[in-house]
Amino acid sequence: MKIENYDIPDNLFYSKEHEWALLEKPNFVKIGITDYAQKALHDIVFVDIPKKGTIVEMMKSVGTVESVKSVSEVFSPVSGSIADVNEELRLNPELINEDPYGKGWIALIETNNFPEESKKLLTPIQYVGYLRTLSK
Amino acid sequence: MKVESRRTHIFQYHADHGNMINFHGFEMPLWYDSISSEHMAVRDNCGLFDVTHMGRSIVSGEKAGEFLDYILTRDPSKLGLIQGQYSTMCNERGGIIDDLTVFCLENKRYLVVYNASNREKDYDWIISKSQTFNVEVQDVSDMTPLFALQGPKAQIILQKLTDGGLSKIRRYWADQLVVGGEKALVSRSGYTGEDGFEILLWDVPLESPGKAMVLWNRILEAGVSFGIKPCGLGARDTLRLEAGMCLYGNDINDETTPLEAKLDFAVKFEKPNFIGREALLKQKEEGIKKTRVGLKMVDRAVPREGGRVWMNGKEVGYLTSGTFSPLLKYGIAMGYVSVDYAVEGSILEVEVRNSRFKTEVVKMPFYEVEKYGARRKTSQA
Repeated sequence: MKIENYDIPDNLFYSKEHEWALLEKPNFVKIGITDYAQKALHDIVFVDIPKKGTIVEMMKSVGTVESVKSVSEVFSPVSGSIADVNEELRLNPELINEDPYGKGWIALIETNNFPEESKKLLTPIQYVGYLRTLSK
Repeated sequence: MKVESRRTHIFQYHADHGNMINFHGFEMPLWYDSISSEHMAVRDNCGLFDVTHMGRSIVSGEKAGEFLDYILTRDPSKLGLIQGQYSTMCNERGGIIDDLTVFCLENKRYLVVYNASNREKDYDWIISKSQTFNVEVQDVSDMTPLFALQGPKAQIILQKLTDGGLSKIRRYWADQLVVGGEKALVSRSGYTGEDGFEILLWDVPLESPGKAMVLWNRILEAGVSFGIKPCGLGARDTLRLEAGMCLYGNDINDETTPLEAKLDFAVKFEKPNFIGREALLKQKEEGIKKTRVGLKMVDRAVPREGGRVWMNGKEVGYLTSGTFSPLLKYGIAMGYVSVDYAVEGSILEVEVRNSRFKTEVVKMPFYEVEKYGARRKTSQA
């Protein structure tokens, strides 16, 4: 799906803080920031993500993404523990700008309650509707 | 909040191509392409900045030199014909009202160029002090579009648009030339650490900006094959920080003195009388307590303005500017620390979002001066 200039893939869940979540395999959810978020930040130069094993809570900070001029917190759209982080981002943070839903993924989280938590997230259609309210 | 909207001569270009911000009341581009790419264009090739938002006044009259010697901390009366210098302008307490450049255009006639953020404050101050000197002060900011062409390819690009010899203009000197068919003051100066020029067009009013727009486009065209990029205020800020240059309002203000800011070279105590002399002399004799330093991140973090600086659990200073260096690929900052810790090589800690990260006190510029900046050894031009 596309709204204005923003790509909104159909197979993801979204948060109002502009993170996405993808159920990769049972209990494992990949997260990242949306096309809208990366375009707003522009020119990402620095990504800080906690170590594997760190416990994260739903919609609590899981790291930061920085452009030259600004800092943005990344909120985890799900709760669980960090099973993997995208180490590529340490050297190539611009991957988030280039491919926010692919090579720019941020972390893989082992969840225990995704079926329940995903109900609190936005569907692609809901997220598109939300973006429309922002652009007004 | 008072929302002002002021525009420069080439506002339309910015609006069409740039990502705009309000900078002290001016609608200016933060970037066109991206801060990092514009930054690197200046270090590697060349960048073009619109700096028309800065303040410019002509000070003239029999005692113009004497007057400027009185209100500025340096020695503008000693400038040669069409030579310039960087100076601070202080209040009676020695605090910095602004940092600026002054050029001697002709005998008893000077151009003063100051920060956009201080346009009204500086003009009012200069006027208020000028009464006893019988000098004329004319604000020419809206009549003189000003562009900065910066980077190792600046000279070769600008030379395509003028018959005037640019190579004979030394750093901080200028010449009155015809550039792209228009009369311009061309100085070898800038705010990036790189070689380059600032080009001021005479008598182009804001209401009929055509000549400014034409020159802007001609410079960009002349630079296409040399990798020129139009640059916004974002890159201007990261470039000056890498070069170790102060930004007024961040690194210096009415409460900091040039001695604390390591701008001693711009204070001429030999002059018998200038505003701030007594206070500065007293501070010099008593010794400063804090001083401006450059900090290079050892740990992986991006330091930001306002971050506190620590050593062994004790707060020893604060950051006034900080960024991720697009050239060096690590965090760099400027700040004030107590003089006991302002030693090159000292390892301190800076606070970034409630955590502390190791940082090293280093000399500025942050880059290797043999490889980058105006004094680089490998000339690319």
